[in-house]
Amino acid sequence: MSASDAPTPAHGAPAPLLKLERITKSYGGVRALRGVDFELAAGEVHALLGENGAGKSTLIKVATGAHAPDSGRITLGGRTLPALTPVLAQELGIACIYQQPALFPDLSVAENLGLRLERGGRCRRIRWGERRELASRLLARVGAGIDPAAEVRELSMPEQQLVEIACAVGAGAQIVIMDEPTASLTRREQESLFAVVRDLQAHGVGIVYISHRLEEIFALADRVTVLRDGESVGTRPIREHGQTLSEADLIRLMVGREVARLYPPAESVPGEVVLALQDVGCRASGVRQVSLEVRAGEILGLAGLVGAGRTELARLLFGLTPADSGQIRLNGQAVTLRSPREAIARGIAYVPEDRRRHGVILELPIEQNLTLAVHRRLFPGGWLRDGAERSLAEGFIERLGIKCAGPSHPVGTLSGGNQQKVSLGRWLATQPKVLILDEPTQGVDVGAKSEIHRIIRQLAKEGLAVILISSDLPEVLGMSGRIGVMRGGTLVATLPGGTEAPVVMAAALGQGGGK
Amino acid sequence: MSPSSWKSRLFRHETLLLLVLVAEWVFFYHYGTTTNRRGVVVGFGTLDRQFDILRHSCEIGLLALALTPVILTAGIDLSVGSLLGLCAILFGKLWHDGGLPVPFAAGLTLLIGAVAGGLNAGLITGLRLPPLIVTLGTYSLFRGLAEAITHGAITYTDFPAGFLFFGQERWLGLPTQAWLFAAVALGVWLLVHRSVFGRSFRAAGYAPEGARYAGLPVERRVALVYILAGVIAALAAIIYTARLGQAKADAGTGYELFAITAVVLGGTSIFGGSGSVTGTLLGVAAIAVLKSGLATLPAVIRLNAAEEIAGLLTGALLLFALAAGPLLRRLTTLLPRRSRSPQAR
Repeated sequence: MSASDAPTPAHGAPAPLLKLERITKSYGGVRALRGVDFELAAGEVHALLGENGAGKSTLIKVATGAHAPDSGRITLGGRTLPALTPVLAQELGIACIYQQPALFPDLSVAENLGLRLERGGRCRRIRWGERRELASRLLARVGAGIDPAAEVRELSMPEQQLVEIACAVGAGAQIVIMDEPTASLTRREQESLFAVVRDLQAHGVGIVYISHRLEEIFALADRVTVLRDGESVGTRPIREHGQTLSEADLIRLMVGREVARLYPPAESVPGEVVLALQDVGCRASGVRQVSLEVRAGEILGLAGLVGAGRTELARLLFGLTPADSGQIRLNGQAVTLRSPREAIARGIAYVPEDRRRHGVILELPIEQNLTLAVHRRLFPGGWLRDGAERSLAEGFIERLGIKCAGPSHPVGTLSGGNQQKVSLGRWLATQPKVLILDEPTQGVDVGAKSEIHRIIRQLAKEGLAVILISSDLPEVLGMSGRIGVMRGGTLVATLPGGTEAPVVMAAALGQGGGK
Repeated sequence: MSPSSWKSRLFRHETLLLLVLVAEWVFFYHYGTTTNRRGVVVGFGTLDRQFDILRHSCEIGLLALALTPVILTAGIDLSVGSLLGLCAILFGKLWHDGGLPVPFAAGLTLLIGAVAGGLNAGLITGLRLPPLIVTLGTYSLFRGLAEAITHGAITYTDFPAGFLFFGQERWLGLPTQAWLFAAVALGVWLLVHRSVFGRSFRAAGYAPEGARYAGLPVERRVALVYILAGVIAALAAIIYTARLGQAKADAGTGYELFAITAVVLGGTSIFGGSGSVTGTLLGVAAIAVLKSGLATLPAVIRLNAAEEIAGLLTGALLLFALAAGPLLRRLTTLLPRRSRSPQAR
């Protein structure tokens, strides 16, 4: 129980502020954390790094008491806590600044700070003078030139983040967790944020810093812990014995070395170019100057971090957010894709990322979901034909191996993998030329995953041009003939199949790499 | 071929409602039929009374039919009752002041209904305003227009007998408007249950985004249901005028609430997606029989409070119908699991 139990850090610092040991956490059947160790010292900036889905967000939720871990030990300032709740975490000086600040937009900055910081009963007089004064003091402390009387909705995202930080300072937070704080900041705003972080650090505050931007981590952090597949794979000091940690080492830690050979071998030989993009962009969704080609029988993988613009590119091609610049050619012909209807008519199919909201309609029967995109062809004249619908549905249930009690059961009664097959089947029914798959195996079990991989391979073999978007790097590497890497709304690299994972990850992170 | 669970649930709801309807009918037949001093049978058990029920339920029934597709898309239209009033006096004005022949005036009235429905549709699908707010606005707007046109005082009467035939006479043994009603009911049934349009109403009601991702033209489909609702409300206005022989600005006041009640009582989910035209028809019948039957009960006649008791019982019936589903589901989850699983073989 005492501090002496804990192994003393190498540099002889006192007991860490926060210590997480062998933390595990599962959601349903998915193990998000499988034994994570993490340690934060006073006055330290400790970066947390990992691929999408590596477990960073879950770890934060555990550290802030939002979710209770299934097992493991949380030690705060030398005290082991049996249970951490959000209220307790706040009292113990843990503050978290999220990417999207959780302030009340219709209240002023001072009111927001007052609500979080002022103590006292439900019935008390609000001392407006004191409230304003507190707000100005805290805002000055974090170097924000914000008027305490301004309404939060008028503030920019970085200003709102500064208000959150001021709030953490005001609460006397000893531990501040920052979740991708610079995602929406300009260069100059970043610099002033860094200054605030360094100031907090000088006051002995421990900072957990989450970011995908390696240059920030090198500029700011003392140590970095890398998470992979819910495990902490290593903690490294950024500078040791006058030597800086190399980026390559860090990336290797993130992606691991072995890309499992679980994937069926490619059998298809790419044919003619089916889809060609030339400098395609869309201001509304942030896609910029994308140029790429996909051939018949080819699987083009799209790798990138969350927010890199992959889903946005898919939505552009499917006509949901039409392109406003560049040229799209299908089979050599210039086309416009202004609506899903138009995209479908041109032979583009899109299996969306959010299966439950967009991929299928859970309440409708399997057969009705399967025929939803082919009403015109299947029901000429507009009248339903039950027999035609039933036989089409039964065909796909058999072809894709959808496990169900019958075609008239609602899709919501199926498992995730089988729902995904229905979503896929709906688009195969349109007999597309280009099939865009967005995270096709997210949230499906291992068995269904390899079945879906086999189906994708088979489709490519039959001559379909496939664009495979996935955050599962081994999946992209294992399935794709070529790999496009996106970053910041544009294609930053096109790599040949069989490229090593660290090279792809380096490109996704913007660390040179690629051609 | 095993019936899917939602189908059987729907079937159960409609069966339940049919039982309620039969029970109402038997009850009123038994207690609401009397013989007067001259030895003539009067009250619920007479053919005249039955035809009367049919006549009276046609207008609200039409509005309920109009609202069924609307509610299937997870929308609502509060303006149909007011539109009935507006169309009634415009029809009267076109015929009386405009000097148009009745068929011409009727055709124009239907067109006006489509335009009014189109206004709702445009605001809802074009500007993406919530249907509740839009139709609350047009609910006041249409009624206000009707009042303004007539200054709240003019009533159009003296329609030709050939027109009144549609509201007051019989054709092939049934009240004339019942045939019109049946034709519209068949049309709406075909639209909702047998056409790709009905399929997309449901898809849009369950998951508008999901429907969009499937390439369905959700906006156009939703616009269609509001325009259709406008046309059917206009038809209801013509039948109403034919039944009463007069057109006035307060025609159809409060009908929208009865119509919504009938649709929801019929098992259509107010959240969209699930529901049926058959359910709506049963809902209309259950309310109409209840209202008319109560007026034939001697006890109620003595109290002179048929309207009030009808309102009370309609409310109770609706709440019962709404609560029955969740209650049944809760009961079945308490039972052993075996009883819920689909057929074993």
